[in-house]
Order: sequence, then structure tokens, then C-alpha cells
Amino acid sequence: MRYALADAMQGAGATVHAEAPYDEMVDPSGEVRPHYAALARRVASLSDEDLAERQRLLERFFLLQGITFTVYGAESSTERIIPTDLLPRIIPAEEWATIEAGLVQRLRALNMFLADVYSDQKILMDGVVPRELVLGAPSYRREMQDLFVPHQAYANVCGSDLIRKPDGGFAVLEDNLRVPSGVSYMLANREAAKRTFPGSFRLAGVRRIEQYPDLLLSTLRSMAADWRPNPQVVVLTPGVYNSAYFEHAYLARLMGVPLVEGRDLVTHDNMVYMRTTTGLRRVDVIYRRVDDDFIDPLTFRRDSSLGVAGLFNAYRGGNVVICNAPGTGVADDKAVYAYVPEIISYYLGEDAILPNIETYLCREPSQLSHVLANLDKLVVKAVGASGGYGMLVGPHASRAERESFAEALSANPDNYIAQPTIQLSTAPCLIDGAVDPRHVDLRPFILSGDKIRVTPGALTRVALRKGSLVVNSSQGGGSKDTWVLGAGEQGDHAP
Amino acid sequence: MMLARVADSLYWIGRYVERAEHMCRLADVLLNSTLDRTESSGQVARMVVSAISDGDPRFEVSPWDAAVAITMDSEEGDSVTAALARARENARQVRDQLTTETWERLNLIYLRVTGPAAPREFSDAPSQFLHDIIADLHLFKGAADATMSHGEGWGFLQLGVFIERAQLTGRLLQAGFGRSLGRPVTEHAAMTALLRMSCALEPYLRKHTADIQPRLIRQFLMFDEDFPRSLRFTTARIEEHLSGVGRNVDLGGAAGPERLAGRLKARFQYAEAETLTAEDSDLLVATVLEECARLHAGIYENFVAYSLEMRLPA
Repeated sequence: MRYALADAMQGAGATVHAEAPYDEMVDPSGEVRPHYAALARRVASLSDEDLAERQRLLERFFLLQGITFTVYGAESSTERIIPTDLLPRIIPAEEWATIEAGLVQRLRALNMFLADVYSDQKILMDGVVPRELVLGAPSYRREMQDLFVPHQAYANVCGSDLIRKPDGGFAVLEDNLRVPSGVSYMLANREAAKRTFPGSFRLAGVRRIEQYPDLLLSTLRSMAADWRPNPQVVVLTPGVYNSAYFEHAYLARLMGVPLVEGRDLVTHDNMVYMRTTTGLRRVDVIYRRVDDDFIDPLTFRRDSSLGVAGLFNAYRGGNVVICNAPGTGVADDKAVYAYVPEIISYYLGEDAILPNIETYLCREPSQLSHVLANLDKLVVKAVGASGGYGMLVGPHASRAERESFAEALSANPDNYIAQPTIQLSTAPCLIDGAVDPRHVDLRPFILSGDKIRVTPGALTRVALRKGSLVVNSSQGGGSKDTWVLGAGEQGDHAP
Repeated sequence: MMLARVADSLYWIGRYVERAEHMCRLADVLLNSTLDRTESSGQVARMVVSAISDGDPRFEVSPWDAAVAITMDSEEGDSVTAALARARENARQVRDQLTTETWERLNLIYLRVTGPAAPREFSDAPSQFLHDIIADLHLFKGAADATMSHGEGWGFLQLGVFIERAQLTGRLLQAGFGRSLGRPVTEHAAMTALLRMSCALEPYLRKHTADIQPRLIRQFLMFDEDFPRSLRFTTARIEEHLSGVGRNVDLGGAAGPERLAGRLKARFQYAEAETLTAEDSDLLVATVLEECARLHAGIYENFVAYSLEMRLPA
């Protein structure tokens, strides 16, 4: 085991060139970074069988808990667990302090941006963000204009995707302000890690994340009207066939609130009620895990059966709170993203603590020609799409793919942005019984209600295929536990 | 306070879990008692087939094929696997209402019976396979009893268990002694098998010794106060849990299903069990099956699919 680990370190150390990815565990000279030292020693002391046994334990934990997704076949369907890696990713205290400050700053500014866009639109008047970019975005909801949102907290739950660049600095790749998911994996990974690495865990000084459901509940309660002293909170799920259903049930259970589907709710006189065994019961706050389009067939998509007819009117009337607010998507739009540093300085008068990735807006003719000339080096994304759809990864695409994409791009440049291909940092993973680095990103979760709350942890997504930069679980991605160390902890104790 | 949909799912979990356990026992007894070719083995096979189907041709086959069909027919049919899959699907829909301990037990059973190794395990050692499922289901019930709050959700789970159980025992009684089906069981081995199918052999022996007679068996399965599968016991539990969950429902003066449950309970509590004729027993069993069906519908109408007009806030 020791040799395999040493090889991995050597490998990472030996291939340093200009764009070599940042290795989370090993520095360029081949030395294990101090915050990884204890874990590296612990792993080196375990035999292959030990590691394999721990990996089995981990997978069994996920299977038993039902943290699975279903693969439908012709004859039968089988359940698979989301691949989970045994080795935690470790973030030292001072790096986390920067990340946390940056996330708080960013979400404060984005909430202010949303409040402005849906009221006076000062930022558009001042020409900081192009008017048509915001008002023309498909995620812009005219219905939200001048609607009162408590604490101006539009995005109550935010999951931002961060990456670590080759120079070691973190940058924001994407903000998710609609219905971000993945927090249950953060919590489940931690629960599993405590079973598989109990000793190392205790000694490393890892900060707690188990308070997340409590913080989420406090955040949601803080959104209820003052005159409803004991607000009824519910989680609204599209149902058991949704791929994130486990997460919806998990959060409802840990918060101790009902998990409802659209058919459990009814509106009457602009109030929302849920059907209980003893009759109707008033609902105050809905943590909805259903997209904007589907929450109310009377206001948004008519063919939706997932939502509740009349919900939006009840919301407009101030009788129920929908979290996240409808229309938050306009602030995580891929084109608006390019303006976030300006948005931060416009509202807060501060420089962004966490930088953006350099972004070319194809709607600008000069930038479009640059993008077209450099398609083989860039990642091009459709503005409205998510989940890796409508995307071209230049360096990995064939000439034909690039040419047909260039046509689509030239035909409708407003719809695209481009970014340089970033080498995500790598972290050690257990692959087929050996320790080998794989590319990772980082998705922390930020809550905003009466105040902004950050949980010291995150979901680390892993591209399990060697060399791959795609961390989406639909495309061979997995996840691993993320340890944020407390201040004064170097992780350098005997495990 | 509990969501109507959740109450419905918990009720169905109770029903399916009980059904799965019962069908395991039927398959096991069927396989065991048809090992030798005697008159009694024919009676047992006939009894099992009529207890689980109304002359379904799927079961008019060799005892082995019938046992396979009972245990692991595709998820469409009425089989152990199908019942467990449905119980687990319902549990997934109310995952937030079950304790982790309870969920894990059910999930584990499901993963095992639907796993790739299950068909081989069954054909290698069917008795062991079925026995393990029963034991696991007992663990599930134990975990639920020990970790879930015994409140409203528990009440619906138990209602499902006991309504299903009353119907299963009723059907078994009809299959064994019902005149309408002709040829009641008479063979000693067949009567023992009947007791085994309702998990009653040992409690029966303790009460009546090895004096195995149709009259006493019938009396035991219908009127025994303490045996958890007797009609008297199950109807008393139905009444108990129904009045528990119905406590907070305001029906505006209309009679709820509690009245039905109370009357059903009283039929057994005050019956003249010792002098009841075979014909009257048949009638009583038929009544139980009918009233259970009405209770089932009544629970759905009163707690789950009630009309909103009745319950709108004033």
C-alpha cells in the first residue's frame, strides 16, 4: 500500500508543467501537505484488504440506507448506489475562512441583486448589467415584481460550485440558486466516514456539519410572517421517482417536518393547507424542491401535476412563503454570472473575495470572434441549460463536433458563453484498491434567511474516470466526504 | 397530525408485510407436507390454493411450481416478492416517517429477496429461504415496535397488519372448513398443516393438547382470546387502533368506521363459541371478511380521500 501511495505522490510530483492541476494532498516537490499528513500515514498503515473492507463497509452503509438511484432495464430494474470514495478531502482552516467569507459576500450581493431586479431595477438603470440580459432571461419571473420577500432573502438555500485552480486559489464556477441538491450526500458521506475512519476522524479536528438540518429549519422558520409564531414548515417534493427523492425525505426527517407532494396540498381563500388524517392544516413555509415552472399550474406551466393550483396567489398574498423564491434563477444565469464581480462591487463596494472564472459572452461581437477562433481550447455552454447539456468541451471534441457547434453558436450567439478549460485540482481516491489522484470540485451550501449561515463542510464531487474533468453523477462522477479542519488544527496528529 | 397520504402508505406497509409473512408460511407448509404422496398432501395443496386464490390457474400446478409462484412470481402477481416490493415502495414514499432502524430492516429484506442470488437460494434450500424471510419480517416488526412512536402512524401500520391478518385467517378457515368449497379437511396431517399455516400449532397444542379436531381448531382460530392470529384477537386490535386514530377526527355527527369495528369486535367477544354450529361458524367467517372489506373502504374514505367540503376551515 505504501508503495502505491508513494507512486501516486511521485506521479503527481514528477509531471509538473505549466497547467498541472493542483494536488490537494501533495505539494509540487512531492511532500505531503501538513493537513493531509495524518491521513496519508493512516492509509499507508492499512493493508489492501483493510482498505477494501472499509470501502465495502461504506458501500453497504449507502445500500442499507437506501441512498440509491434506480437503473431501469428491459426486464427488471436494479438499484445502484452513487459511487462514494473512501478517502476524505481535507481543507485547512485558513483556506476555509477565505471560502466562507467569499460565499457570504457573494450570496449577500446576489440577494440584493434579486431584490433590486424585482423592484426598482437600479442596477439596470445604471447600466452595470445589461437590461436585456436580465429581463430576457428565461428564468426571469415577471410575476415576482414588487413582491415582498422577508429579509430580502430570495435564495434561502444556495449551493455554489467551486473549483481550485492550478495556482491553488479557489474560484466560483457556478452559483446554484434554484433548487440546489447534494446536501444529503454531504451529510451521508460524513455519517459513513465516521464509521469507516473513526480514529482518524476524532483526531483530525474536523468541524461538525450535523447541525445543517437545524440551521435549515431555523432559516426556513425565519421566513415566516411574524404573526405566525409557530410556523408550519413542509418540504415539497416532486415525488418518489425524482432522482433527489432520498434527499427530500432525508431533510424532512432530520428537520422533523412533513414531506409533502403537490397532491397533499390544497389552497382555499389564498391560504395553503395540507390534507392530514384529521382534516386540513395550514402551511406557512414551503421548502420546495420543485422547479419554478412546476410549482403552480395556474401561474406557470399548465401541464404540471407536481405543483399546487393557487399556490402563487397565496404567496403573493403573503399567506405562505416559498423557499427559494421563484425567479432566483435569473441570478445564477450563466450570462449574468459574468457580471457577479461587478454586482458585488455595485451593492457592497467590495472586491469579490472568490474570483470568477474568466468568461466570454458570445453576445459581444469581439468576444464571439475570439471564442470562434479558439474553440479547441474553450468550454462553451448554453446559457439556459444545466447538467452538462448543450455544452462543448473544446479540447475533447472532434473537429466535426466543433464545426457544427460553431454553426449553432454563430446562429444564436446570445445563447452562449465560453470559458477556458480549467484543470480541476486532484485529490487522492481509492480506485480499484489503489490510491490514485482524481479531479474534484467543491460544493458548499449556504443558507440565508434572517442571516446567512454557512456549514463548514461541502460536497466534494469526484470525476472517477482517470483524467476526466466531468464530476456530474450522471456522467461517471462520485463523491467523497469533505473535512474542514478547525482553527489551530493541522491534522498532524498520530491517528 | 399526519398527512393523509402518509397514513395510507403506512396502512399498506402493514398489510403487505403481513401478507408476505403469511404467504411464506403457506409456501413452506405446502412444500413440507407434499413431500409424501398421501391423501393429506392433496388436501393441503387444495387448501393452500383456495386460501390464496379463487381458483387461479397459475396455482393449479405441482406443489413445487405453486410454491415458486407463491414466493417469487413477478412483481405483478400476488407473491411474497411482490408484497415485499410494494411494502418497500410504500416505505420509500414515507421514508421520513419511519425510523432508520425500521426502514433498514425492510430495505434489507427487499434487497435480499429481489437480489440476483435469491432464485438459487430458494431452489437450493426453500425452507431455509422462507424461514429467513419470516425471521427478518419479525425483526422488522420488532424494530418498528421498539423504535417508532406508538402514535397515529403506528396506529395505521397496525390497522393494516390486523385487517390483513383477520382476512387471511378468515380465508384459511374457509379453505379448511368452508362448506361452500366442499371437502373440509379431515386428515390429521392436513389439520396440523392448517395450524402451521396460521402459526398456531404450538399455541394450540398448549391449549388443547395433541387432541386435534376440526371443531377445536375452528374454535381456537376464531375465538381464542390470546392467540395473536385468532379472529377474536385481531378484531379487538382493529377496534383498538381504529378508535386510537379516529380520536381527533370530527365527522360532524356521521358514524365513522369505528362503529363497524366495535360491532365486529363484540361479535367475537360475546359469541357462544362452544355451541356454535359449523354452519354458523361459516357465516361468521364470511361476515368477518365482508366487514373487513368495509372497514378497509371506510378507513380510506374517512382518513385519506375525504371530501374537502366537509373539512374546510370555518
